[in-house]
Amino acid sequence: MDLTILRTDLAGISGEQHVREHPADRVIYGQTPLLAVAPGSLEELSQVVARLAAEPVAMVPWGGGTQQTWGRPPARPFVVVETNRLNRILDYTPDDLTISVEAGITLDALRAALAANGQMLPLDSPLPAQATIGGLLATAMDGPRRLGYGSARDLLIGIRVVEATGRVSKAGGMVVKNVSGFDMMKLYLGSFGTLAIIASANFKLIPQPRAAASILCRAQTPAPLWKLVNAIAASQLVPVAVEYLEGIAAIDAPFALTVASEGLPAAVERHLRDVAAFAQQAGVSTEVLRDADHAQLWSMINDVPQTAAPAVDELVTRVTCLPADLNRVLTAARAAAREADLSLQITARALNGIAYLRARGQTTALRLWHTALLKVAPHTTLLATPPALVAELPAFGAQIVNLDLMQRIKQEFDPDQLLNPGRFVV
Amino acid sequence: MNRAELIAELERILGPRGVVAHPDALYTYDADGCVMDTHEPHVVTLPTSAEQVSAIVRLAARVGMPIVPRGAGTGLSGGATPMRGGIVISTARMDKILQVDTANGRVLCQPGVINWELSQYLKPFGYQFAPDPSSQKACTIGGNIANNSGGPHCLKYGITASHVLAVQVVLPDGSIIWTGDGSSYLPGYDLTGVITGSEGTIGFVTAAWLRLTRLPEAVRVVLALFPEIAGASSTVSQVIASGLLPAALEIMDRLAIKAVNDMYRLGLPEAAGAALLIEVDGVEDGLDELLNDVTAICWRNGAIDVRPARTIAEQNQVWAARKNAFGAMGRLAPTYYLVDTVVPRTKLPQTMDEVGRISREFRLPIANVFHAGDGNLHPIILFDRRDRSQNQRALEAATSVMKVSIDFGGVISGEHGIGVEKQDYMTLLFSTDDLAAMAGLHQSFDPRDLFNPGKVFPKGRGCGELAALRRSGIAWSALKSS
Repeated sequence: MDLTILRTDLAGISGEQHVREHPADRVIYGQTPLLAVAPGSLEELSQVVARLAAEPVAMVPWGGGTQQTWGRPPARPFVVVETNRLNRILDYTPDDLTISVEAGITLDALRAALAANGQMLPLDSPLPAQATIGGLLATAMDGPRRLGYGSARDLLIGIRVVEATGRVSKAGGMVVKNVSGFDMMKLYLGSFGTLAIIASANFKLIPQPRAAASILCRAQTPAPLWKLVNAIAASQLVPVAVEYLEGIAAIDAPFALTVASEGLPAAVERHLRDVAAFAQQAGVSTEVLRDADHAQLWSMINDVPQTAAPAVDELVTRVTCLPADLNRVLTAARAAAREADLSLQITARALNGIAYLRARGQTTALRLWHTALLKVAPHTTLLATPPALVAELPAFGAQIVNLDLMQRIKQEFDPDQLLNPGRFVV
Repeated sequence: MNRAELIAELERILGPRGVVAHPDALYTYDADGCVMDTHEPHVVTLPTSAEQVSAIVRLAARVGMPIVPRGAGTGLSGGATPMRGGIVISTARMDKILQVDTANGRVLCQPGVINWELSQYLKPFGYQFAPDPSSQKACTIGGNIANNSGGPHCLKYGITASHVLAVQVVLPDGSIIWTGDGSSYLPGYDLTGVITGSEGTIGFVTAAWLRLTRLPEAVRVVLALFPEIAGASSTVSQVIASGLLPAALEIMDRLAIKAVNDMYRLGLPEAAGAALLIEVDGVEDGLDELLNDVTAICWRNGAIDVRPARTIAEQNQVWAARKNAFGAMGRLAPTYYLVDTVVPRTKLPQTMDEVGRISREFRLPIANVFHAGDGNLHPIILFDRRDRSQNQRALEAATSVMKVSIDFGGVISGEHGIGVEKQDYMTLLFSTDDLAAMAGLHQSFDPRDLFNPGKVFPKGRGCGELAALRRSGIAWSALKSS
């Protein structure tokens, strides 16, 4: 490969100032990309991908760079394709409650545009000032409010992608209900950019609630909090988030459960009242948080699983299981962390069976802990791994089912393994 | 393998009660609710397990014969029509609810379970299966999954895809897989997501873990009457824009009111040009406030009456009228063509004007009963099938509705699927590249094109690229002549 010619060609597409050689700020697990290129339009993105495919050289799509530690390191030398210049709102008629945005728009920028019209996209993510919509969709990341509003799976109504050859294709549309053709949104969502690069996405929006508040329940042991979780699950309450917290300094308690309610003022007050009553029965203290305190709490919780700046001795994982198994899984994770002398922080979507765990300590101890964790939670994904362990630990859990079928899909879309090679399950 | 050998082989797999081969009986399987294109299958099978489905699929693959899945046959796009003959696999005997797991918010059932029966079964537990197509008293879960079905309550609770947690599928090579167990974020591609709504073209669902939705603490239903449909459509647009989130917003127009009035004794004034059914639900607190705000918007848009359904019986009566409106159309014309399109919600009033224009242009009455809150239109073109001119005009009117919907930024199907009915309209919405990507997904599951072939993708010319992607593996003509 002649890097100079490639660089010249990419500069011809996107402009000299948008192509960089060996950029030090785009390193993934110690690997520096050959080049980073930042196309400024869909057409440029398509041409860039086509040029790289012709080389052929591997490509790593890059949004805000907050989740580049997820999964495995790149398997081959690569060029980073940045989406930061693709940050426009393409179509927004507020009264339709739908929006179309380019992949490089940050979550905060999108939120600001929607808030001006009293609307929201209820997808939460760590570091919303940096995290982009493209990155959120590629990793299917979301936050505590998925309990109340669903995940990107439920909110994404259309998509436009650039496939490995540079070919542009779309699916879905700008309406909230649509069965015209296959649901390709589901295919690209959470596929780590291994089938195509997301160029733009359409969402169904939600009006901002008239009222919002939360109730924070602190405890010295986890048991009463899980009693509270069960009481909420059995009730007809419809909280938007029920988050279990452990080892979070800002909470001023070793264990906590926090419940958010959004909606009409009377409905929110009813939730606060009922949860407080359940908490009293379970014997835990409560504190109601409103306005800035409420917003600050959830912003803090959202950032706990961040992977933009993990410590060198830190293993960040996501555990998923059936909701009723979560307490058992976290109990085992806690016991294993104590035994290995690791510090452990947990934020868990208590009614969804999803937990983010940050463990810090010696390499040997982390290895032992991870092995113990896999036994109780085979679906454990590594979101950030210390360099000493990255080659060794399985990034996507104990076993990947239906791998052959997934490989056939990958083969159809990216037979030359150009898109994010090595980093995902295929 | 000749026909007799094929039937013998199927009877060996399924027992004699599991195979339908009599020509008269086969005739009843030549279409679903869409009767524009009909074609008989060569044989119909009634398996009771995934293993039996797998054995049928392996046999079909061996002889190169198409497989056509069939639930209750209520589909409106021809998804269950055996366009190239072959083996129909009916889910009629796979109708068991296997496990209710409230601790994990999920229920396991077979594909032949009737949507309505599932929700009735779940009621004593305090739960429901939220998607509720109008045909819910007959349609099956398997069909709901295949078509990613909707229903009035999708406005608040989302479409079927949001309620399918994992599926057991027999793939075109006969293998049986589970796509998950109901846990979130399984590593790899979202197979559950791509199989849902694929209209039986890439896999045969033999069981599913479905999401349980808690029954709401309180429900309020109101029927608002308007002199013209424009007022009702504007109300819906404004309710959505104002940020209120009702559970359902359904419109019936003058013709539909006339049809359901006699049947359900609603006593609606037939002078009313439109009825808007509004449902709100949730915790009791705040519900009246929500309803007051919605009814205020009704009054502002010229409502002539707003009638609350005060008792459960009254609520059920209003809903029965709405959900059975299509059946009541028989009172107005011998045949109807129900068109299913979607537009952005601010475009509803203009689109309804256009539907009125189309009715006049093609000289056919069009009734409207639709999921207004989602922008999901259902113009019902009334005609007499025996009249060739009317037949032709009905088809042209439907095409016009689709084109108008696309012009307003909409799509050609919101919940009924593409099937055979709309396959040739796919090019109005999608480029060859768009369709080729979908064909790529199809190829990775069904490279021989034996699963429900001749559906979804456009037939005819102009799609050479696509056709090349979808390699045909059918050697059926040889079998047919034997």
